[in-house]
Amino acid sequence: MADSVPKPSSSVKLVLLGEAAVGKSSLVLRFVNNDFQENKEPTIGAAFLTQKCNLPTRTIKFEIWDTAGQERFASLAPMYYRNAQAALVVYDLTKPTSLIKAKHWVAELQRQASPGIVIALVGNKLDLTSDSTGTAEDDGESSAAADSGDSGDARKVSTEEAKTYAEEESLLFFETSAKTGHNVREVFTAIANAIPETSLKSARGPGAGAGGVGAGRNNEEQQRVNLGGPRDPNAKEGCAC
Amino acid sequence: MLSLSSFVQRAQQLLDPTQGLNLSDSDKNPSKASLFQNQFRLPSSQHPLYEISAELTIPPSNVTQGDKDRDRGYHYAGKLHLSEAYLCFSTTPSSFLQSASTSTSSAFTGQTHGGGPGGNGFTFPLCAIRRVERLHSQNFQFALAITTWNGINQESVKDKKENAREQRITIQLAGPRVSCERFCDGLKKGLRAGVGNVGKLKKVVAECYSEYLLRPEDKKNASPPDAGLGMLFRYPGDPKKLRDRAKMRLWAEYLRDNGRNMTLIRQPTFHKLIRVGLPNRLRGEMWELTSGSIYLRLENPTLYADTLAKFSGRESLAIDEIEKDLNRSLPEYPGFQSEDGIGRLRRVLTAYSWVDAEVGYCQAMNIVVAALLIYMSEAQAFFLLSALCDRLVPGYYSTTMYGTLLDQKVFESLVEKTMPILWEHLVRSDVQLSVVSLPWFLSLYINSMPLVFAFRVLDVFFVEGPKVLFQVGLAILRINGEELLDATDDGAFISVLKSYFARLDESAHPKSENPKLRAVTRFQELMVVAFKEFSGVTQSSITELRLKNKDAVLNNIESFAKRTAIRNLARDSKLLSPEELGALYDRFYGVLYERQQRDHILKEQAKRAKTNRPRVPDAPDHDDHIERGRVGLGPSTSLMDYDAFREFLAGMSKWAISDSPTTPRRDTFTDKDRNSFYNSFRKSDAFLSPWGAGPEPADHEFLQRLFRNWDVDSSSALTLQNVVSGLARIKGKRDIMGTINYFFELHDDDGDGKVDREGILRMSEALLFLSRRGLEGSLSPSNSTLTLNGMTDSMNNSSLANDVPGQSVNERFLGSVSAFIRRCFEYADPDHPRNQPPAASATTATTTATQAQEQGETAEQPVPTSDDLLQLASPDAFAIGDDDDDDDDDEEEDGDGGDDDDDLLTMDSPTGTPRRAAKSSGETSSPGQPPPLIQLTNYSIPPSTIDGESTDRRRVSKAQSVKANAALDPSNPLHITLPTFRMVVLADELLEQFFESSFPASFHVIEALGSSSSASPTTASSSLTTFSSLGMGAGRAVGAALGGGGAGSGVSAPGGAPAAGGRGLRGVLDNIVTDGMRVAAEVRRRMEDAQKELEKNALPGQRSGNDEDDEEDDEDVPGFEHASEPGGAGTGKGAAYRRAVSSSDRDLLSGADAEASDANSIGRVRGSSDAGSMGDGNGNGNGNGNGGAAKVVGVEFDG
Ligand SMILES: Nc1nc2c(ncn2[C@@H]2O[C@H](COP(=O)(O)OP(=O)(O)OP(=O)(O)O)[C@@H](O)[C@H]2O)c(=O)[nH]1
Ligand SMILES: [Mg+2]
Repeated sequence: MADSVPKPSSSVKLVLLGEAAVGKSSLVLRFVNNDFQENKEPTIGAAFLTQKCNLPTRTIKFEIWDTAGQERFASLAPMYYRNAQAALVVYDLTKPTSLIKAKHWVAELQRQASPGIVIALVGNKLDLTSDSTGTAEDDGESSAAADSGDSGDARKVSTEEAKTYAEEESLLFFETSAKTGHNVREVFTAIANAIPETSLKSARGPGAGAGGVGAGRNNEEQQRVNLGGPRDPNAKEGCAC
Repeated sequence: MLSLSSFVQRAQQLLDPTQGLNLSDSDKNPSKASLFQNQFRLPSSQHPLYEISAELTIPPSNVTQGDKDRDRGYHYAGKLHLSEAYLCFSTTPSSFLQSASTSTSSAFTGQTHGGGPGGNGFTFPLCAIRRVERLHSQNFQFALAITTWNGINQESVKDKKENAREQRITIQLAGPRVSCERFCDGLKKGLRAGVGNVGKLKKVVAECYSEYLLRPEDKKNASPPDAGLGMLFRYPGDPKKLRDRAKMRLWAEYLRDNGRNMTLIRQPTFHKLIRVGLPNRLRGEMWELTSGSIYLRLENPTLYADTLAKFSGRESLAIDEIEKDLNRSLPEYPGFQSEDGIGRLRRVLTAYSWVDAEVGYCQAMNIVVAALLIYMSEAQAFFLLSALCDRLVPGYYSTTMYGTLLDQKVFESLVEKTMPILWEHLVRSDVQLSVVSLPWFLSLYINSMPLVFAFRVLDVFFVEGPKVLFQVGLAILRINGEELLDATDDGAFISVLKSYFARLDESAHPKSENPKLRAVTRFQELMVVAFKEFSGVTQSSITELRLKNKDAVLNNIESFAKRTAIRNLARDSKLLSPEELGALYDRFYGVLYERQQRDHILKEQAKRAKTNRPRVPDAPDHDDHIERGRVGLGPSTSLMDYDAFREFLAGMSKWAISDSPTTPRRDTFTDKDRNSFYNSFRKSDAFLSPWGAGPEPADHEFLQRLFRNWDVDSSSALTLQNVVSGLARIKGKRDIMGTINYFFELHDDDGDGKVDREGILRMSEALLFLSRRGLEGSLSPSNSTLTLNGMTDSMNNSSLANDVPGQSVNERFLGSVSAFIRRCFEYADPDHPRNQPPAASATTATTTATQAQEQGETAEQPVPTSDDLLQLASPDAFAIGDDDDDDDDDEEEDGDGGDDDDDLLTMDSPTGTPRRAAKSSGETSSPGQPPPLIQLTNYSIPPSTIDGESTDRRRVSKAQSVKANAALDPSNPLHITLPTFRMVVLADELLEQFFESSFPASFHVIEALGSSSSASPTTASSSLTTFSSLGMGAGRAVGAALGGGGAGSGVSAPGGAPAAGGRGLRGVLDNIVTDGMRVAAEVRRRMEDAQKELEKNALPGQRSGNDEDDEEDDEDVPGFEHASEPGGAGTGKGAAYRRAVSSSDRDLLSGADAEASDANSIGRVRGSSDAGSMGDGNGNGNGNGNGGAAKVVGVEFDG
């Protein structure tokens, strides 16, 4: 609506959930600092980071809550996803159990989190699979880095399986690599686009996430994002703050 | 709803009735032992045995032995405590004697407020005391001079000139002579016992850096003990800046004067030295000394190495989790970029995960242990981790992390109390404090602050206890208060703190004119604020707040756990409603929890009884164990063994309650008569029945069957998922066919779709078992009576119901079951690979008939008239029980021929379906019926069956009973198939209703058993009482009735068992119709008789039947005689039982047998329940498990 010079800016609380060591913190690190660390300390409780994302019509400031993945930290999670408008549920596509855990998280969020929460299912560590290099839409920078040594296909969760599930539950769906950066920005951009305007008004706070996001709408958004795929470099620039 | 906290409450009340209604009272009044252990950081093997007021005199430094002037030494007044293996002195006034009021001991004062080795004094292991001499003193009755083994490892040097180094202190006891003498006696005993541990002491002490630091001149070249990775990779921080050398010199001096490691004496300087930060190389040793973990190491010096060796090569979930994090632990420290460092970390974490399976591995432990390993050896870190998990930060790393969550709540309330403005701001801007503070506590500030500062916090934390974490946290907020007030969201809040932590080494007052003030770092400021401004935060205030919040936190965790567990159940759980799932969850964990508590209490009692130490009952030994098992504290067990399963079912289904409790029942526990409850159980120990307050569960073949069926992975234990799946199959579909199929499957042991003779009997027994307390669900009595009357099938003659107007549904059900048995045998298929052609089966039948006739010839049984039969309960029973050798049966059947034909007609017409279909759909409006009927029609009976059975039978209806004989002939195996079973069930309105509604409805998942049915535990128990008194009386009653019956029919014959049996069964049916189990027992007995008979008849002895009976008599009679002599051969229940029987008519033999088999089953119940509770004890030991075990290992190393 407002196409004037100062784009409307609003903050979105986003939470990352998923089994331990699937790469949640790495995804955030990639998104926020465009960096990757082989030995990332496990997250204790949760970590908090922010990052801006420029959309054509508005600027979104992500307040990212990166949570600990170990099972026993699960009971702390409500503290972090409280009032979250978006969630990244991450699994490791070389570990089938992590998808089961991801499904549990999705169910938990659908029942317990803010009603309008936008959920993205993310299969991480795509660089460990053989199809990672062949993907057409690799943005230039990451395809160069895309797995140098991994010849074998470590993939244990098929794209189909996860995608079908994501569609059933009306989730955004991406396969990413925090290591190469593949698809990482896309996830966040898609989420930014999927957040309904209504819930952006009051930035964050109690009830902020109450705006309803229809299932259909999510899919629409996803499509739109996919269409916008080729224009990635722009999006990247927009996102780096 | 079954709230878990109510179980907790109850368990605590069981432990201490005086505590009554308040959940937290037992925490509020923790046992003296645990207070004592906390105060001196002793292992849980230590109890306060003696204490006495005393004055400690420490000679001033550098005085020669001859120059011993009291006035020049240091004097401390305080209390001297003696435990099994320790002599402790503290100036902190606290008493741990049983007689001391709890308020005295819980209200600690002094420097550490009870959180640790407070005040001035010492904690000497008795094995570290070399000599105690009694001195003569004018002022005190007793003065002891204590010489320690200080520097024990240097003894070998025999440096006689070094005598000044000998540590010798004086203690003057102040108290009545008797107390002093008692104390000294205790001390003497302890010292003697401690001598054996001197070797251990030497070993443990050898790993202490202080020994190296104070080594004598001639050992200057000795290599230092392992003081952590820091020795190899440098310690964090700049030693110059840390003034490490100066600190080391101060410590060396202090230790020289006041003893080292085990023999160290705390004086004010000690606390000051710790506050300024420990020197690197002594840090590890001081941590283990102040935390008390060194005493754990002393108890079992080789535990660490042993554990590693024991579990070497083994794998576990914890190990997987550990491996994931090894490279992610303090990666910036060079030591953890090396294999050496990673290896140490791996070993310590792994070893700990083995000894404390309850904790296993929790992220954050890797960081804490990594930090410890910089300063101490692996073994030291291992024991220190144990002290952390057990005492310093209990519950922080447990599977539910309840300790972490609880302390966050405590922290929040402290913030609210001490910084109300900030708190209000946080609330207003919706910033959740714990989001920020949780990692501080969980990783003990190690990855929040730069390491050098985090270690300084740890220095104080290990001496003064967990309150330090709170004080520091509060100080952080206080110092940043203004900036935080400007922050309006989590992000801003966090960045304020982040930048604060990054600048801890900067000057706190950079702009100050005063250079001294300028030199104060922000960290120093933090410490000052923490310990000065928040000195009011004490161990006791924390304890209090923990108590206040504990319940809410646990409830939160539990509801989360419940939600998660239910959500994660497999798809079939959707067959049950959310309410049902919730209730099942509560029941499942409720039973497990209660059993665990009971087990613990029993063990505790046993232990107390064994130690025989006088103990006030309201001082439980390990209060911290009381709540173990509560879900919120960690899933100590989530597996239900068979006994727990029985208890679980007994809480839901009245048929699962035992008929004959082996333990006297207490009043049922209700809120109202809690007091009478206490009184009742305090008087007797009966309350500790293996079943607690609940009704004693039955043990029946059916329960075992159900358990095995639910235990899909044959693990002899059920998970919640198993239970849910199992129940979903019974209750879920609300579909009669489903239930019928399930029941069949339950009895189809090998899953081949056939249930054999034995199985048929088991099924009937199960039906009787399930119905013996009455049927539930939507039965339509009037309707069904009508139906039954309208039906021309066997119900007419098989059920007394129709003849006796007032007869209840339940009584009629017995008839249905009898009919069921008969029909099963009628329609059973012969058990051959190929179905026999009709002719063949007829032949078999005839053969058997001949046999039967031969056998039966000798039986002199008067033939009951058919009239008789019509009146009497169940000719069906005869048909099964009696047929084996009575040729009169033919006549009997002849008499009933018409009826039977009808019966058959009903059953036969395409297995009776169309007709029944019409009937039932017209008569009952149950929506569930039409489909099943259609289904049945579809299924029909295999043609061969129809041919082989129905046509055949119609033709040879006369041979029917003979066929029944064949059915009983073990040499003639047979089976029924599912379609047959369905048909037989659907042929009977009551059975149909049983499967349609009453069986599923008999599982009261949601509602309390008592509220909806007449079988509330109390009612059930009272009815049980009657029943069990009936157990004695029943024999008599039955006997009388049977005797009467016998006389009536003119049979008083010493008789053939068949005759007696026939009347016995009739009598049973006549008189104790409600006790269905007897019928089954009787049926079974008859079966066995028949079998015996047949086996005997392998040799064609015609009188064998009689002989057998005579023998039986012969056996029985002496049995009776013995039994009636007190102290006779038969003792116990059996004897009593037999006595009861002996008082009844001899005719009762069969009835008696039925009774006897009841009695047996009672015996079995008891036997297995005992065994069960023991087994459970074991189970707890392991499973809980490992909680228990782990705790023990962690603290009592003498294992
Ligand atoms: N090959 C590959 N490795 C990855 C990728 N993302 C993360 N990792 C590695 O996986 C490990 C775990 O990464 P983290 O980002 O710490 O995982 P996390 O989900 O935050 O783990 P917790 O904080 O314990 O819940 C690290 O060793 C990363 O280097 C990826 O895309 N490809
Ligand atoms: Mg992480």
